[in-house]
Amino acid sequence: MTHRQSKRLGRVGGIGLLLLAAVAWADLPASAVATSAPDQGKPRVEGALLVDVTQVKPGDTFRAGVRFRLDPGWHIYWKNPGDSGLETEVAWDTPGSTVGPLKWPFPDTFRTSDGFITTYGYDDVAILVADVKASEGATAGALTLSAAVEALVCEVHCIPAELMLTRSIPVGPETLRDAETAAVFDAEVAKVPRPLADSGHTVSVALDAPNLTAGQAFTGALTLTGPGGAAVPAVEGDFFIAERIPGVANLGLTAEGPGRFKVKGKAEPDVQATAPRLTGVLRLGTAATGYQYLEVTAPLAPMVAAVGAAGTPAVVKPPSVKDSIAAVKPVGTAAVAAPAQESSVGLGLALVFAFFGGALLNLMPCVFPVLALKAYGFTRMVQQEQGRVAAHAGAYAGGIIATMLLLAGGVLAVRAGGASVGWGFQFQEPLFVAGVCAVLVAFALNLFGVFNVGLDGTALAGKVDQSHGLMHSAGEGVLAVVLATPCSAPLLGTAVGFAFAAGPATVLAVFTALGLGLALPFCLLVLVPGLAKKLPKPGAWMERFKQVLGFALLATTVWLVWVMGGLAGVDGMARLLAFLVAVGLVTWLYGQGQAQDGVRKLATVAVAAGVLVASGLLTLRFEEQGPSAVARTGSTMALAQPWDDAAVQTALAAGQPVFIDFTADWCLTCKFNERTVLSTDEVRDAFIQHRVAFFVADWTRRDARITAKLAEHGRAGVPMYLVLSPGAPDKPEVLSELLTTGLVSDAVKRAAECAPSKLGGSNVLCAAGFPSH
Amino acid sequence: MKHVVTALALGTLFVGAPAFADAEVGKPAPSFTVKDESGKEHSLAQYKGRVVVLEWTNPECPFVQRHYKSDTMVTTLKGFDAKKVVWLAVDSTAHNTPEKSAAWKKEEGFPYPVLQDASGTLGKSYGAKTTPHMYVIDEKGVVRYAGAIDDDPRGKNAKPSNHVKTAVDAVIGGQTVPASTTTPYGCTVKYKT
Repeated sequence: MTHRQSKRLGRVGGIGLLLLAAVAWADLPASAVATSAPDQGKPRVEGALLVDVTQVKPGDTFRAGVRFRLDPGWHIYWKNPGDSGLETEVAWDTPGSTVGPLKWPFPDTFRTSDGFITTYGYDDVAILVADVKASEGATAGALTLSAAVEALVCEVHCIPAELMLTRSIPVGPETLRDAETAAVFDAEVAKVPRPLADSGHTVSVALDAPNLTAGQAFTGALTLTGPGGAAVPAVEGDFFIAERIPGVANLGLTAEGPGRFKVKGKAEPDVQATAPRLTGVLRLGTAATGYQYLEVTAPLAPMVAAVGAAGTPAVVKPPSVKDSIAAVKPVGTAAVAAPAQESSVGLGLALVFAFFGGALLNLMPCVFPVLALKAYGFTRMVQQEQGRVAAHAGAYAGGIIATMLLLAGGVLAVRAGGASVGWGFQFQEPLFVAGVCAVLVAFALNLFGVFNVGLDGTALAGKVDQSHGLMHSAGEGVLAVVLATPCSAPLLGTAVGFAFAAGPATVLAVFTALGLGLALPFCLLVLVPGLAKKLPKPGAWMERFKQVLGFALLATTVWLVWVMGGLAGVDGMARLLAFLVAVGLVTWLYGQGQAQDGVRKLATVAVAAGVLVASGLLTLRFEEQGPSAVARTGSTMALAQPWDDAAVQTALAAGQPVFIDFTADWCLTCKFNERTVLSTDEVRDAFIQHRVAFFVADWTRRDARITAKLAEHGRAGVPMYLVLSPGAPDKPEVLSELLTTGLVSDAVKRAAECAPSKLGGSNVLCAAGFPSH
Repeated sequence: MKHVVTALALGTLFVGAPAFADAEVGKPAPSFTVKDESGKEHSLAQYKGRVVVLEWTNPECPFVQRHYKSDTMVTTLKGFDAKKVVWLAVDSTAHNTPEKSAAWKKEEGFPYPVLQDASGTLGKSYGAKTTPHMYVIDEKGVVRYAGAIDDDPRGKNAKPSNHVKTAVDAVIGGQTVPASTTTPYGCTVKYKT
C-alpha cells in the first residue's frame, strides 16, 4: 500500500509520509537536502538526493533518487505538465558514473474546480529514481553525485524551485545495499509504467478515418490484450494520461469495456511530416484490486492539411465584385506573373486552339440539346433549297459569334473595372442562371407546342412551324454559346486564358475564332455539298422527336436549378422554380394570345408580360450563400478539403504531394472528371498510398483567389488540375482537362517520388517527372 | 458531499479536456467587448484591418514577472509597425482589479491596455490556460497563432526564438505562420471558481 493509494482512500496525513519518515536516513548529508520555493518566507518544497547503496564497487549499478516533499496542497509537474506548469527537471553531474533516464511514476491528475485546466504531477511525496552505473575506473575513494533540480511548485499560484543536491558515495571492493532506501525506491518504481514489450501486452489502434486532418477532431478505438491473450482488468478514473504528442492535442481514452477504449483527440492545425503516435501512460486495475502501469505507444495515422492551416480561412462570404477589385490586380498582361508554359502561345496558335476548342465544344454534353434542335431544324430544311440552309447556318453562326463578342465585351468591361473574370464567370451570377433557365423552359414549351416563335401568329399550337425564322436560328446560336460555356473543353482553357490576359483586339479575335469553331458542324453541312443530304428524311417522327428534345431542355434546367442551389441555397432554388412556373404560365398565355386577334391578343400579351415582370420582381432576389457543404460524392472526395494556399504550403512543407482540383458546380467537365476518375478506388488508393493532400478549389461562386490562381497558370476557367511535389514546390504539373485514372495516379506517384531527399525521396526523378516550366 | 458530486460529475471513466469553445487557429477569433484598466472599452471588431496580439497576463506569476523584467513584450511590440499591430494584455485573474492593473502598468511602463476579465469570460472563450498565453489574430479577425511567447520556458536561453514575432511578421507579410500552435508555458490562469 503506497502513500498515493492511501491518499485516494481519503486518509489524511498519508501513510506514505509516515513510511518515508520512518526511514531514518540518519546518514543523509546536509548537502543532499535543500528547500526551495519560498512562499512568504516559508519553503514549499524540500528535495533530497537518496541512493540505495552505502558503498559501491566500480562497474556496479545502483539507484539514485530525488525525493520531493511538498506542503499540503502544493504539487510539482510530470514530464507532460498538461495545460500549464512546467516539467520537473533534474540535471545530473556525476563524474565517474553515468546516470540513466528518470523513471516517472504514474502521475496524479489535478483539475481546477471548474474543470477548465488539467495538469499532471505529484503532491505530498514523490521520488524520481534513476539507475546509476559506477564506471570501471572509479577508484578514487568516492563518487560524487550532484543533481541540479528545477521544479515549478504550484498551489494556486506558482513558485519556481531550484535545488542543488549533492553527495558522495564511498567506492569499495563490493557494493553494499541500503535495504530501507531500496524498499522505498522499489515502491516508487512499481508505479513507473512499463513498456508493453516488457509486460507482454499488445495494443492496436484503429481510427475512424484514414488520416488525421489538421485542425479537426478524430475518433477511433484502442484495443489492449493482456499477455498471451489474457483479459485486461477494468480501469478507474484518470487511468490514461497522454504524453505531449507533436501535432495532436487533447488526446484521451474512454473505457468501453475491459481492454476496449474509445480514442478521442484533435489534430493541431499544423501538419506533421511524420504520422503522430499515440503515446501515454495507462493505469489498469482499481484501488481495490491494485494497479498495473503500462507505457502505451501505437501509430495513429498520417496527417493531412486542412483549410485555414495557419492561413486564410475559407471565405465566409464570397467577395463581391467590388471586393475583388480591391483584392486582385486586373488580369492584365502584367498580372500573369509566372505563367505556365501554355501561356506563351502566340496569337496565331491561340486562334487555332480557340477554333478547335470551339469545335470540340460540340462534343460536350452542355451543348447537346441545342445541337439536337439544330439538327432537327436542318433535317427539315435540307429538303428545301441549299440557299435557305446556308442562310440559317449563317444566322446560327452569327448568333454564336455575336454572343461570343458580347461575352468578350463583358470580359473587357469587367476587366476595365479592375475585377478578374474567368471563362464561365457568368454562371457565378444567380440572375444569369435564372435567365438561362427561363429561356430553356420557354424553349421547351415552344417545342411542346404551347406557343410559337415568330410573327406567324395564326399558326396553331402543335402545327409545325414552317417559317422557322432566321431569328430562331440566331437564337439557337445564342443558346449554344450560353450553354457551352460551362464545358471548358480541352485547348479552350488555354486559348481563353491567353485571351483574358491579352489586349482587347486579341480578346475579340479569340472569341470570334471560338464562335466559328462552335458553329463549324453546321457550317460544314452548308459548305460540303451532299453532306446535308445524308441527314434523315423528315416525316411524322420529327414532331415526336421535337417534343422529346423539349424534355432534354427541361433536363438541362434541372442541372441549372442545382447550380442555383450552390449559388443561393435552397431558398434560391425555390425562388427559381417559382419563377419558372410563372414563365410557363406566361408562355401559355402568350400561346393563347396567338390564337386570338386584335385587342384581345394585345390584352393577353400584355397580361403575359405583366405576369412575367411581376413574378420576376417577386422571385428573382437571390441572396448569395457562403460556401455550402455540397456533398462531394465518392470516396476520394471525402478526403478533399477546401483549397487554401497556406494549407497547400503546409502540406508541401510536411513532405506531402498535393493535388488541387479547380472545379465548379456548373462545370460539367469538372463533375464528369470527379465522378468517373477522381472518385475511383484506384485514385483514392493512390492518394492514400502517397499521402496526397487533396484540395478542392470550388469556383461555383466568385472567388478572386481562385481566379487569380487560374490566371497564374494561363487558364481562365475550370477544370484545372494541379499536382505539386514537395521536392519541387515551385513547379506544379498541370494535368490535362480530361482526366484518366492512370494519368492522376502516375502524376501523384511522380510527385511523391520527387520528395526532397531528406524526406526519403530522390531528386533525380524530379527532373524526369516534372517538366520545368 | 460536494466533492463526491464533483467526482461523479467528472466521471470515473472520463479523461480529456472538457469541451469549451477555444480560439482555434484558422477559425474566426471569438469576439469580445471588454473594458481596460482605465474603463475604456475595447472590442475585437474595432481592430478589424489590424493584426491583434492578445497576451494573457498576471503580474503575480513568476513567468510573467520574468518576461516583464527582461521587457520581452514591449521589445516584441516595438518591432512591429504600430499602424498595423495592436497589442492587448488580458488579465483573467479572479482577484485582479483595474487599480492593480493600473498600478502595475505604471510600474512597468508599458503602453498597451490591460483588459479586465476577472469574470474569466474572455479567457475561457479563448481557452487561455497559462500566463503568458499568446494569440495572434489577423486583419480579418482569424486566429493565426496560439501558444507560448517563445521557446524558452525556463528563461535560460540566451537567444530565445520569439514565436509571436515570427507569427505577426508572417501574417503581415502574407506568409504562412511556420508553427501556428505551440504549447504555452507558465502559471495556470487563476480563473474565478
